Amino acid sequence: MECVVQGIIETQHVEALEILLQGLCGVQRERLRVHELCLKSGPSLGVVPSEVRLLCDLDQPDPTWTVKHVGGAMRGPGADQISVMVRTLIESKVSKNALRMFYALGYKLDHELLKVGFAFHFQRTANISVSVSSVNKMPKVHAIDEAVPVTPGMQIVDVTAPATPANYSEVAAAVSSFCEFLAPLVHLSKPFISTGVVPTAAAAAASLMSDGGGTAL
Amino acid sequence: MPVKWVLHWQPNQGSTVSSQILNEATQCVESINGVKEGRWKATLNYYKPLLRDQTNQAEFPRDFLGISLADQPNKYYFIIRSQRIVVEADSSIQLIMERLQSYKSKVALYFEGFQYQLGDFRLRVGKVVPTHSENVRGIVMEVEYLPISSMEKSRKVMEEFLEIWHEALSKRSLPGKFVNIDLNFGEFGLGDNYTPQHTAVRYALVMAHMIATVQAVRG
Repeated sequence: MECVVQGIIETQHVEALEILLQGLCGVQRERLRVHELCLKSGPSLGVVPSEVRLLCDLDQPDPTWTVKHVGGAMRGPGADQISVMVRTLIESKVSKNALRMFYALGYKLDHELLKVGFAFHFQRTANISVSVSSVNKMPKVHAIDEAVPVTPGMQIVDVTAPATPANYSEVAAAVSSFCEFLAPLVHLSKPFISTGVVPTAAAAAASLMSDGGGTAL
Repeated sequence: MPVKWVLHWQPNQGSTVSSQILNEATQCVESINGVKEGRWKATLNYYKPLLRDQTNQAEFPRDFLGISLADQPNKYYFIIRSQRIVVEADSSIQLIMERLQSYKSKVALYFEGFQYQLGDFRLRVGKVVPTHSENVRGIVMEVEYLPISSMEKSRKVMEEFLEIWHEALSKRSLPGKFVNIDLNFGEFGLGDNYTPQHTAVRYALVMAHMIATVQAVRG
């Protein structure tokens, strides 16, 4: 299970966001370079159509692979009152030929993306991860060296935190509370409910860049 | 990790496998001064595709196995032997497979028995039983040589050990023998340095041989 919010930010303000995050998180930023392959079951396979994501972390000396299954989001009046999305998530590290295995099992490549940016992982009531990345598409299958941004000039901000059925309320509150600190630069909301860029982001960014982040927003 | 061979019991023509043979093999290990260390268990699942259209069955692999090994409690291994695929994953991959609802475990088997220390060797002798039955379908024996992880370098000492083992077991006049199957791990993308993935592939091959033996007896 995880709590997740997303937002978009103009690339010109990413540096300011990084300064802000550095100050808030108190940890070293990590580089992010992840090849994400979205696989879908073939036409007759499965009780229902299914989807699984393979992520290859290209930032390691030896690329490492993870399989991710993202389930449905929590729904109902309780979910509507929470400002973050709570959804099931199961992950597993896998060895490098997992893609070949899924192809052999009847899964097909639906689409693939290359995410390039940075991330912060820190503890604030919950284990929170913030990533800022450009999302890139490939002109040819697996051609990561030829990837180009899907939305030039814009980057995606993801804030996620693992949760359990017992603690998701506390985790959601922690994520919400953290997101308020980022509000001057980026609006974060449930995925697929975009609120656009923050109109005053330029001013906030200028403030951050001019004094290196020392001024409280 | 240490090199491991996985042997399986091949009954003579006309005879079957039973708990009695397992008891004899276990006693034989103890007779050559094997020190009992405790129990061991591995689990194997045969997966079948769940199809909305049965006519396409041939498109999907018929030998898709999953196995959890006694040495690696937090890992799970998938093997598609016909395509020379072996994958190591975290145990949580089983939950992912359940959620996908594209493949389901149709047959589950336990490998279970006792583990022994014998000098630089670790031996595991165990029966193969369906998860809800005590019906012995086979007997396996793991032979692990602890000092060496290179398969080539360990070959001679493993063969010498097996000669000793076969000689000790032959005194019991059992209707069959333990067999080791050689295979080309390179085809699975595996190297000379031994890993749990090698063990997973060995078990897949053992199962294929055991099934072939049962089918030959029935035929």
